Amino acid sequence: MSAAAGTTRHAPRAAHRRATHSATQVLFDAPGPKGRRRIALLSVLSAAVILGLLAAGLWQFQKNGQLDPAKWVVYLRVDYLAFLGRGLLGTLQVTAVAAVVAFPFGLLLALARLSRFGALSSVATVWIEFFRGIPMLLVVYAFLLALPAYGVTFPRFWMLVIPMILVSAATTAEVFRAGIKAVDRGQHEAASAIGLGRRDALVHVILPQAVRLVLPSLILALVTLLKDSTLGYVVSYNELQFQGKTMVSITRYLVQTYVVVSVIYIALNFLLTRIALALDARMKARAVAS
Amino acid sequence: MIGFENVRKEYPGGTLAVEDFSLEIASHESVVLVGTSGSGKTTLMRMINRMVDPTSGRITIDGDDVASLDPVRLRRSVGYVMQASGLLPHRTVLDNITTVPVLRGISKRDARTRAHELMETVGLEAALAVRYPAQLSGGQQQRVGVARGLAADPNILLMDEPFGAVDPIVRGELQQELMHLQRDLKKTIVFVTHDIDEAFLIGDRVVILRPGCVVAQIGTPQEILADPADDFVASFVGADRGTRSLHVERVDGRDIVVDADGRAAGVLTAHAAARSGPAGETPS
Repeated sequence: MSAAAGTTRHAPRAAHRRATHSATQVLFDAPGPKGRRRIALLSVLSAAVILGLLAAGLWQFQKNGQLDPAKWVVYLRVDYLAFLGRGLLGTLQVTAVAAVVAFPFGLLLALARLSRFGALSSVATVWIEFFRGIPMLLVVYAFLLALPAYGVTFPRFWMLVIPMILVSAATTAEVFRAGIKAVDRGQHEAASAIGLGRRDALVHVILPQAVRLVLPSLILALVTLLKDSTLGYVVSYNELQFQGKTMVSITRYLVQTYVVVSVIYIALNFLLTRIALALDARMKARAVAS
Repeated sequence: MIGFENVRKEYPGGTLAVEDFSLEIASHESVVLVGTSGSGKTTLMRMINRMVDPTSGRITIDGDDVASLDPVRLRRSVGYVMQASGLLPHRTVLDNITTVPVLRGISKRDARTRAHELMETVGLEAALAVRYPAQLSGGQQQRVGVARGLAADPNILLMDEPFGAVDPIVRGELQQELMHLQRDLKKTIVFVTHDIDEAFLIGDRVVILRPGCVVAQIGTPQEILADPADDFVASFVGADRGTRSLHVERVDGRDIVVDADGRAAGVLTAHAAARSGPAGETPS
């Protein structure tokens, strides 16, 4: 009850919060007064449930001796950390390479889909819809099992990265397409009125604004990529989760290892969201859509 | 010189925007196209820089048919100022002004020097050069729009309701400065508005359009006020509302100009009386 009252009291500052603080609101619309009340109620209820479950879980762990400090302090050992650190490095490498290739590729796909040339547009549409609809695991299997059957093999790194690129490029293509369409129509007219050709208008006017509009969504795509990299276990690529799995098979500390690994993933994604927030604030200062 | 010769514009689907329009606009003249929305005034103006191509008839600039010119090059050689300024929000004021000159191949440094001069010309502080459009007031944005329109030093300046989105006080300032600029620059200006007062203020000649882009009257503001072609024009310029039919009443030894409702519009000064005296007598 008191928590609900607290939320209501802060309601007038919602607009301010939206502009500066709340990370989630980079990605979603702010709810109205009714919505806020409902959210407050549900938050209290779900918090109670979650705390209850957590307490029950901890109680179980305690009973089975999982909370024994000896099982946790090992994660402060240099060799343990180095082992997980190699996984973290692998995860970051895979994600970075996939993003660096997939985002420009996605942009090209979006432009192709919006192209005036019907054939190009159709090919791009089919390509995008295919890779957007297919589970990434199937694409990974294609590179791991199907293609080698025809003599086409890739290093483990690429067996993971190529499927990530294919799937992510298709989803980001739709993000870019939405961004391009969201640029004010007046900007097309303004560009053509002052004498910019189609290409100049696209390069100098439409794309810079579209990319700024979709930056938060791109960061979200990056978070998705980071999580998709966990499919590395399928191809036995040493990314963070696979390293965790290996560690479990050696130490038998299943719960502890996955808690530590999860914390690292959450911290990484939290960091990415903060970056999204900072970028968004900087863009608001320039006010993209005036 | 800009010429419209029997211009007709029909949109696919049969909408007739312009039926048959002819007009000659002399060099260094400012012509205002005025009419209600849907009168096709903007369509007409956009034909000059080929934003719209006529279905039939032709538009010439200094005798050359614009249809024979490359649209992009043509647009770069004609200044264009649009409503709500149409500035690029992701570029600074300076970059907005230099966009067209740089595209025309002028060095960045020269373009910037010229942009700074233009900012001074249109009354913008130099410190605003590094700002983004959203950080400016509506009036300042519009000034940037005018500076951008003048950046390539075009002979022709097209203005599409440029002051429609700013408040009346700022609009008044901008109108005065445009007239001031025009006295020095002597561009050929085609100006579109739905505000008849603005039209009379800015236009050497005013073209009043009915819906469907039919010309109701073409003339100087004086000619139109003195002799409205028909009831539509009379009503459009407000002659029948009494705000324009002024007469003089003598109060305390001074000549007060009063409108048809008896509201005082101003004082008749000796200078104005002397000037209007002969002009008023000549026709009679």
